[in-house]
Amino acid sequence: MDYHLNFFFVLRDFDKLLDGLVVTLKLTVLANAMGLSLGFGVALLLGSPVRVVRWTATAFVEFFRCTPALIQIVWFFYCVPILFDVFLDAETMGLLALGLNLTAFNAEAYRAAIQAIPRAHLDASIALGLGWRARILHVVFPQALRMAVPVLITNAIGCFQQSALVALVAVSDLMYQAKTLSTQTYRPIETFTVVALIYLAISFPISQLVTYFERRNIRQMGG
Amino acid sequence: MTYHFSFGFMLDYWSALLIGLTTTLELTLICVVLGALLGFVVSLMRTSESRLIYAIGSVYVELFRGTPVLIQIFWIFFCLPIVLHVEIGNLSSAIIALSLYMAAISSETFRAAMKAISREQHDACVALGLAPLAKITRVIFPQTILRAIPTLLSNTVSLFKESSLVSAVGMSDLLYVGQNIATRTFHPVEILTTVAFIYFAIAFPLTRAVTVVEQRLLRKIDA
Repeated sequence: MDYHLNFFFVLRDFDKLLDGLVVTLKLTVLANAMGLSLGFGVALLLGSPVRVVRWTATAFVEFFRCTPALIQIVWFFYCVPILFDVFLDAETMGLLALGLNLTAFNAEAYRAAIQAIPRAHLDASIALGLGWRARILHVVFPQALRMAVPVLITNAIGCFQQSALVALVAVSDLMYQAKTLSTQTYRPIETFTVVALIYLAISFPISQLVTYFERRNIRQMGG
Repeated sequence: MTYHFSFGFMLDYWSALLIGLTTTLELTLICVVLGALLGFVVSLMRTSESRLIYAIGSVYVELFRGTPVLIQIFWIFFCLPIVLHVEIGNLSSAIIALSLYMAAISSETFRAAMKAISREQHDACVALGLAPLAKITRVIFPQTILRAIPTLLSNTVSLFKESSLVSAVGMSDLLYVGQNIATRTFHPVEILTTVAFIYFAIAFPLTRAVTVVEQRLLRKIDA
């Protein structure tokens, strides 16, 4: 069997792929907004002195980190409407699953960063009479964020790539458009290669940022 | 709408779930071994002085780390047979896809582990007149493996989770079996939750093992 490469269809329907890319990016950005903010909150709960709070937070984080993202998405898609009697569109369900997944991973990143903050800083803020809100907002958060940035970016790229999974519950993201296009046109090689390159073109430059921030962190800690 | 919980029906299906779990575990195990071996070779390629070999290794790693695993699986299922002009079975395709992914992430693990081998040891090899092959097998390989073990273990956990993606191309792994039972019995909540707990029950102890191994190894290496 001979297969002749033909990019005509991919180029003709490129706007569909772009529509898909917009959905993918929207999901990624919103999930990251969730993950970056909620993740810090959960990280604080992980260090809570109240045992029940700490255990609940740990259970949440471990559960999302130790099960496949795909089953989380499928679970949200099928089970949330039944259990909670809420009917949201597939995109919102996908966003919830991706966002909570990222929250769990980011919480771990923040937790490690919070632990790296010297004990003396906390003592100093108590000595200065800072309230807990001021302590967290002005002492803990800025330092934890700085320290965690490389891991947070890595997680963001991971989330961008995992967002392709929502295609399996029929959210029309980039991956979904690729599947549809390749079946409609019988051009799997061209379609999947082009789409893979689109994903690469976005995650590769961002992954280079990680190296930059890692070096900066090492430099500043040494200096 | 009311949903009646029932767990009794699952007794009829537990052997099916077990078969799915076996597939998942087999797939993970095979791909971890193949992927780790290939990953070591790739990490060596990336230390090569030949620019071409270095470039091939790097492009491969960035390509597989920069694109979603789902699209890699789709590419290998639908495009590789066309490119190679051969029929590739379901299981073989899944093994190829996941091994290549594992190799890409593990090569980064090995690279980091290799960097930790001090410059003096390389000089010592030269001074002792060790042949390049002897240097790799006797000096670099054992130390790299030792240092890489914790990260390799967490890569294994990732691969175990990512292996659920093969359900999207119709391989009857744990998730696929679970979804099938869910549609057949109209009890998605019970079955999908059970499947998630099965994944959790395997991945969670592994992540704990990573921490323990890490602490022990670090103590040994530093001592």
